[in-house]
Amino acid sequence: MSEPLPARSSGDVALWVNDLSTIPDEPSDDLLYHHKVRLLESVKLLWDHREIVYTLAERDFRAQYKQATLGILWAVLSPLATLAIFAIVFSRVKAFPHEGIPYALYAFVGILCWSFFASSVGSGGSSLLSNKALLAKTQFPRECFPLETMLVNAINTVLSWVPLAVLFVIFGRAPKLATLWVPLFMLIEVAFAAGLMLALSSLIIQMRDLAQVLPILLSLGIFMTPVIWPFSYIPAHFHVVGGFYVNLQIVYGFFNPLGPVIANLRTTMLVGHNPTWAPLIAAIFGSLAYLAIGFRIFKRLEVNFADIA
Amino acid sequence: MPTLPDGSIRVEHVWKKFRADRSRPLFYDQLQRIRRSVAAGDPEYRWVLKDVDLEVEPWGSLALIGINGSGKTTLLKVLSKVTYQTAGRVQVQGRIGALLSVTAGLHPDLTGRENVFLYGAVLGMGRDTVRKKFDTIVEFADLTDSIDRQVKFFSLGMQMRLGFAIAAYLEPDVLLVDEVLAVGDANFQQKCLQRIGEIVRSGTTLLYVSHDLASVEASCEKAVWLSDAVVRAAGPSKDVVTMYRTAVEKNATLLSNKEGVVQVLKADIRAVDGGQLRSECETEVSLTLTAPERAEASYYIGISQGTAFPMFVVNHQGQMPAGEFEVRCKLGYLPLPKGHYSLWVAITGFPKGLRDPYLQWQPLVSFDTFGPQRRNPPEGVMVLSPIYVGAQWLIS
Repeated sequence: MSEPLPARSSGDVALWVNDLSTIPDEPSDDLLYHHKVRLLESVKLLWDHREIVYTLAERDFRAQYKQATLGILWAVLSPLATLAIFAIVFSRVKAFPHEGIPYALYAFVGILCWSFFASSVGSGGSSLLSNKALLAKTQFPRECFPLETMLVNAINTVLSWVPLAVLFVIFGRAPKLATLWVPLFMLIEVAFAAGLMLALSSLIIQMRDLAQVLPILLSLGIFMTPVIWPFSYIPAHFHVVGGFYVNLQIVYGFFNPLGPVIANLRTTMLVGHNPTWAPLIAAIFGSLAYLAIGFRIFKRLEVNFADIA
Repeated sequence: MPTLPDGSIRVEHVWKKFRADRSRPLFYDQLQRIRRSVAAGDPEYRWVLKDVDLEVEPWGSLALIGINGSGKTTLLKVLSKVTYQTAGRVQVQGRIGALLSVTAGLHPDLTGRENVFLYGAVLGMGRDTVRKKFDTIVEFADLTDSIDRQVKFFSLGMQMRLGFAIAAYLEPDVLLVDEVLAVGDANFQQKCLQRIGEIVRSGTTLLYVSHDLASVEASCEKAVWLSDAVVRAAGPSKDVVTMYRTAVEKNATLLSNKEGVVQVLKADIRAVDGGQLRSECETEVSLTLTAPERAEASYYIGISQGTAFPMFVVNHQGQMPAGEFEVRCKLGYLPLPKGHYSLWVAITGFPKGLRDPYLQWQPLVSFDTFGPQRRNPPEGVMVLSPIYVGAQWLIS
């Protein structure tokens, strides 16, 4: 391979006709291309391309409300509508204990968290498919597509904090000082969602069936996550055998970091307690594991994206 | 691996395989596939690039030519890292600007203005750069009046102009361009060619895929001919294009429908004075044909450089006798520089279009002319040669 190329090096402008009989049927093994992924390098590359993420997010955000008369107002109106439905339904239903907090408020916090997660994973998961044209024709880190989708969802979520504020006013309450912990919870959720989304988006492009299964799983997921029921339903002291107890909240928190996130969001912002650390730390490790594995799967599979999109 | 100077491209022994088309990804088929690939070890692929080598120096310009499906676009995609090679080494030094599709980055719901920023970013231009060049881009695309309309209300030509204009103001070290001269009207095409010329003169390395051989000759010094996944020839674009043209012509001969109603027995082109075919000489084309029946017909004779698009055509309407007959056409003046050409002929019914042609448009003979070399146009200008040629016909 290191031998010089046939007489075509610098300055040579003679016509060169290939001898087709010298071409082997297969490339030799030492020529095979191996896709190397270095974590730091790809993170730096992604950072260098952050403007693309912003621009694509701006594209989706603008396109979402183009030609709608009320325009961007919908970003606030639609969560308000959800809230109204909520308020009506949950003023009649008192199914779960809710720690002395008005149930609408209690549930809405959970719903906010869940809807960011579900929409990020849902639309992020199909983001490579919906950006096929760009995927096959332009070159920049492929992570930009799912991350861009997530950014759009994040903006929409932030806008739906407006109705949350309305709820606080309606119930005559104020967020407690412990609300300052919220950014940490959000980071955990973002890492968890990003990991799942990266893995799913790269798998969905290979196995389109998954795109059909995903919404089903997500609608199941809302009931497996303490969105409308309290996290305390999961036992902290689960009796295994003899004198052994397992804190199932920790186990659950590792596999579904959303559980501790929602629980702690409630105890800090609504009740004013400090975070419950044990499940939360499990959630931190869990979400980091999801992120690491998801990113790895994505990078492993990205070699094929343009070919099968 | 030695570091090349910015603007270099080096491709060594590059192979790329595609999986076979999965037209039926159904469960049963998948099972069959798995069984087969376990038995035979992944047999389902085809090579789209085989052992491809090429090299371009900074400031160089190289064209990739070849028929559809010969691997040109795949090679560009490998170079721009949109996709990855199966084997081999690819080195592209410096910032890459790849224009693989003129409209892929445009979002139909956004306005032209928003799209300039979007596509600019997607192609690797920063926001500030786009802002600075915004007016130039819009002016180049000739869209000053409609830039604030949504792109879905643009005509396709306008969309393509917008896409190309954005890409035209990228300032990469290496510019990869795929088939974009199909953009817009003749005026805009000329503008594009000029812009590409400017880019090359400013020091950008150009790699250019096109079916438009005239524009290849106009804007690239070197060319590579890809055919069926392999490099057939490489070198000065003129030589490679000539070789490619000859091959296309051979193919056209094979493809053309010789089973027409009219049979060709003999075809010849020669100088009237009996010497070699020379520029400006009086020339006669003679054809010996057989027809099954008497009919009104239009005769067409054209001269081309390999492709089915002739440089000029002369035609004649008249009787087509039944049985064997001869067509003689005297060209008062052969307006060709030194080179290799082919003679194309067709006979259609008259009035036009009432029935299938008696003889399909096809190359019958190829010939060389002697004389002065073709004069080169200024860089970046295509020669299309609309020529008038007087002709005298005799059918007997």
